[in-house]
Amino acid sequence: MIELFHIWKQYQKPYWALSDVTLQIDDGDFYFITGPSGSGKTTLLRTIFREILPTEGQILINGINILKIHDNRIYTLRRTMGIVFQDFRLMFHRTVFDNVAVPLQVVGVGRKEIRRRVFNTLQKVNLHQKMWELPAHLSYGEQQRVAIARAVVNNPEIILADEPTGNLDPELAFEIVTLFKEFNKQGATVIIGSHDRELIRHFGDNILFLQKGKIVGKEAHG
Amino acid sequence: MIEKVKFFLRLTGNNLWQFRTRNLFSVTIICLSFLTVGIFMSLSNNLRDTARELSSNMSVAFYLEPGLSPAASDAIRQEISKPAFVESVKSVTPAEALERFRTSFPELADIVAGLKGNPFPPSLELRVNAKASASKEVVAFVEGMKKRPGVTDVLFNQDWVEKMQGFSRLAGAIGAFLGGILILTSFFIISNVVKLNVFARKNEIEILRMVGGTNLFIRIPFWLEGITLGLLGSLLSLGLLFIVIRLFPVYLGASLGALQELLRFRYPDLTQAIALLCGGAATGFIGSATSVSKFLKV
Repeated sequence: MIELFHIWKQYQKPYWALSDVTLQIDDGDFYFITGPSGSGKTTLLRTIFREILPTEGQILINGINILKIHDNRIYTLRRTMGIVFQDFRLMFHRTVFDNVAVPLQVVGVGRKEIRRRVFNTLQKVNLHQKMWELPAHLSYGEQQRVAIARAVVNNPEIILADEPTGNLDPELAFEIVTLFKEFNKQGATVIIGSHDRELIRHFGDNILFLQKGKIVGKEAHG
Repeated sequence: MIEKVKFFLRLTGNNLWQFRTRNLFSVTIICLSFLTVGIFMSLSNNLRDTARELSSNMSVAFYLEPGLSPAASDAIRQEISKPAFVESVKSVTPAEALERFRTSFPELADIVAGLKGNPFPPSLELRVNAKASASKEVVAFVEGMKKRPGVTDVLFNQDWVEKMQGFSRLAGAIGAFLGGILILTSFFIISNVVKLNVFARKNEIEILRMVGGTNLFIRIPFWLEGITLGLLGSLLSLGLLFIVIRLFPVYLGASLGALQELLRFRYPDLTQAIALLCGGAATGFIGSATSVSKFLKV
């Protein structure tokens, strides 16, 4: 469970990127965070990922205050999460396999096991036949699927995605969110930051509306 | 554990290959730096060995007054035989000295033939044992004997030993100074090359952080790269040093004339070779570690 208590974040005075955000996301939830550009979607996701620290407030993940985790121990938190960005953030000089294998190599999984898990994950995103290709040779949609495969290969409890469909056409965007939905069905909590109304209308179980850093609305359809 | 080691080695290999041009540049600089150290080290080795050789064969020649009575000559002989550092004493008659001169300098035979008498005085040759050679005790004894009646002159090769030892120290110091500067240069070059590699792989580092890579996990490949560059550079310098030592006498040896002996290079011994390699690895490691800790805030 992810709990945010009165989160405030200020990058520059007098503007608040997040203003008094209080939120509870249960295990297995599928959440959309939406709002116009600059509403605080990315800041909120980065705060949950502990990439940035809030100016005020507390964040508990499974009862642990992640703001109290020492900088040297953040990796323990990151290993329980998978993150996907709009710009994919792939290693373009490494093969698809290498890109997806990274989270497993980091935790010291054996080579055979890595091969098995990477292949299975790539099969889920339908990229197993392009395992040995370089990401540069893939389409945008395929590159985003590589990024998703990397985010889920370690079976994370939480998947965060910041505008994962921002660079994709509507058809590919649907395909990508369908993938997230499948991983959600398998038990992962998924939080997607997006301003694509069509997608949100179609997939949104829980929707959080942000404006100027404030929660201005919540919808639950689940 | 073995999997992790294999992973790091593979990653290091890939990274070294990916930035091969700049890595080759730093290997060359390290190689030249350590080659300079190696050349001066081998020169110093030669001078030190020559000094050791000279001091182990150290002898003192006491020239006696011509016409000195056998009793007086015997008294001097007994006196110089007394000290503990004396290994042996040998009397050289004027005739023996002349014969030695003839054998040593055959080209001067005409001059010798033209001599009316024998110009060489009788002498006593004293051999000093290797341990005591050039010690203060020997020097004091020789100085004392110079003033003794019946002794006209004393020839002592201690000066040469001291000069050799001085040259050896000088060569070592020049090597250490030049090498030190060059090693410092290569240290900064490695540091900058690794810094460039860190910047070039910023995206990759970001990803590693994102997926839960520890600081150590991110840093180890950079350290290994530094160590590998340092080791390769020093290994190459060792190879080149052997080639220089082998080719030096062939190309320059004869033209150096009398200096040939002094400027002869000796192969570094195993300890020195290992020290060069370790020095390379350490330079690489320190260069990369400082760069990584400075520019890789993880």
